[in-house]
Amino acid sequence: MAKILRKDRLNEMISRLASRNTAVFGPSPEADGAISQFRLMQTSDEIDLERVLTRLSVKSLFFPRTEPMMRFDIAKQSIDMQQILPDEQKRVVFGCRPCDAASLAMLDGLFNWDYADAFWNRRRENTTIVSIACTRKDDFCMCTSLDLAPDSSFGSDVLLKAASDGAGWQVEAISDKGRRFVESLGDLLVEQNPPELAATTVVEKKFDVAKVCEWAAQDENFESDLWSQMSERCLGCGVCTYMCPTCHCFDIQDEGNAYRGVRRKNWDSCSFSLFTLHTSGHNPRPTQASRWRQRIMHKFNYYPSKFQHRSCTGCGRCTRYCPVDMGVAETLQAIGR
Amino acid sequence: MTALENFKKRAKELLAGGHVDVVIGYRLGTTAELRRTVFVRSAEAADQLVLDGHCRENLAGYLTRPEVWDGEGVVAIFVQPAGIRTINILAAEGQIDPQRITLLAFELAGSEAIKELPGSSVDDFAGLIENLKSQPAETDLAAEIEKLESLSPQQRFEFWQEQFSKCIRCYACRQACPMCYCRRCIVEQNQPQWICASAHDLGNFEWNIVRAFHLAGRCIECGNCERACPVNIPLMLLNRRLAREALEAFDHFAGIRPDQPPALASFKQDDPQHFIL
Repeated sequence: MAKILRKDRLNEMISRLASRNTAVFGPSPEADGAISQFRLMQTSDEIDLERVLTRLSVKSLFFPRTEPMMRFDIAKQSIDMQQILPDEQKRVVFGCRPCDAASLAMLDGLFNWDYADAFWNRRRENTTIVSIACTRKDDFCMCTSLDLAPDSSFGSDVLLKAASDGAGWQVEAISDKGRRFVESLGDLLVEQNPPELAATTVVEKKFDVAKVCEWAAQDENFESDLWSQMSERCLGCGVCTYMCPTCHCFDIQDEGNAYRGVRRKNWDSCSFSLFTLHTSGHNPRPTQASRWRQRIMHKFNYYPSKFQHRSCTGCGRCTRYCPVDMGVAETLQAIGR
Repeated sequence: MTALENFKKRAKELLAGGHVDVVIGYRLGTTAELRRTVFVRSAEAADQLVLDGHCRENLAGYLTRPEVWDGEGVVAIFVQPAGIRTINILAAEGQIDPQRITLLAFELAGSEAIKELPGSSVDDFAGLIENLKSQPAETDLAAEIEKLESLSPQQRFEFWQEQFSKCIRCYACRQACPMCYCRRCIVEQNQPQWICASAHDLGNFEWNIVRAFHLAGRCIECGNCERACPVNIPLMLLNRRLAREALEAFDHFAGIRPDQPPALASFKQDDPQHFIL
């Protein structure tokens, strides 16, 4: 027996969750100048279920591009500081893709490494990830090259697979949180014989990631000519890092004046030329080549050695949105050869 | 011989004869529509050069990148008229020596065919650029700009507020722009922090407006910024409007000659002064 969520009951699901103070976030359509991302959904027809992948990744719901951390008031004798933590709003992300779901699981270790990051954890604890397996892909998708798949459940609480008749999805609870969610839906889900499922899309491997990680781990390759060759046209902007669901560097900025202000956490990028500029004036990564090397090494060498995951899910956004058609695939294919 | 074949022949001759150190051009990209910048340093490698309707990127920004070219020696570069104007401006602002640049100039003709423009140094194209000033190209922007200008200032403010709210401060617009060559951008100054670095509505407004103003009278409307923007902000609308302002206020058409005084860094006796006196 399988549990089915019918498309024509999505609206009911959203209202039922709303009545339980649970907000539903889903992929929004790219129309009227707005870009595709995860937005609060009031009705099911606001959800874009057709697009292969949102432009902005699900990362924005947990690690927004800018967020306040605390406010401060400076008086004569004292400084009053107030932490600003995210609210504990219960949320369901409906329509996440397996590559984005995987990124969340990959980042949990990082945000709980040397201390527990409340900004990340609060949102993670209060959010249920309901992913939909991919029946379509585009030229930039490369999840299978990272040992993931268009129907991978890694990082998802619930995984939905489309029925071939287009009427809805087969629902599979993956985690405990997912099981509780599925149970809470009760009679919203129909129990029936497992339906015929729509074919999962096939994503050909673009590179051999094991070979890449092995090569990157060898000390002498740090000085390889490959880095400057591959990065020659890199503009040093932040598109790849900001669109990437696993990139997590941030900058802290105080905004205010001598009397009061707010401390904020903003996205930052290791591609920027001044990212590693020291107060002394020395910059250990003075060339775009050294910054490109850092990007690849971090994702395929340093991060896996600390957190047992390569910090890449093969979503392809780095290549899809790079202004000069770069992205990790080209470099990794060159290494693989 | 097609234009591409002719260009390849020229590139190979320049490289084989040791006349240039590098040819900056285009090659095929990840998909059928994408093209990548290629830095060709040998005659054999010149075979990968392509030239077609997808080659829209203005490559002249690479001329100020030390990793590509140290400013010494000679470089050849594929440029459209916007690229020629770029070289003029970079020369006028003291960033490059135009005598060290061999231009492989082309134009994308209406039906996406390539038209080779005769000449190889900036001076060969002076007449062409003069013509562009007096006969500006038709753009699709005209209708959109007209619509914007029919709005009240408040409505226009709301339009841009909405557009800039999408900005994620990736600075792809800045990095893709050949005229943004500052080693330390104003937004990277933090003593004081002139412009909010945060990607909230105010910070984004500050950033986008400041960049537009820093390009007033310098932007040659190549479109690199708008193409680079990952969140589809219609930057060309701003650029077009400011270019028109520069022309109307100062009769300034950016990039007309390599010794053209920059509009906002020079003074003429007949400059309008009604807002000062």
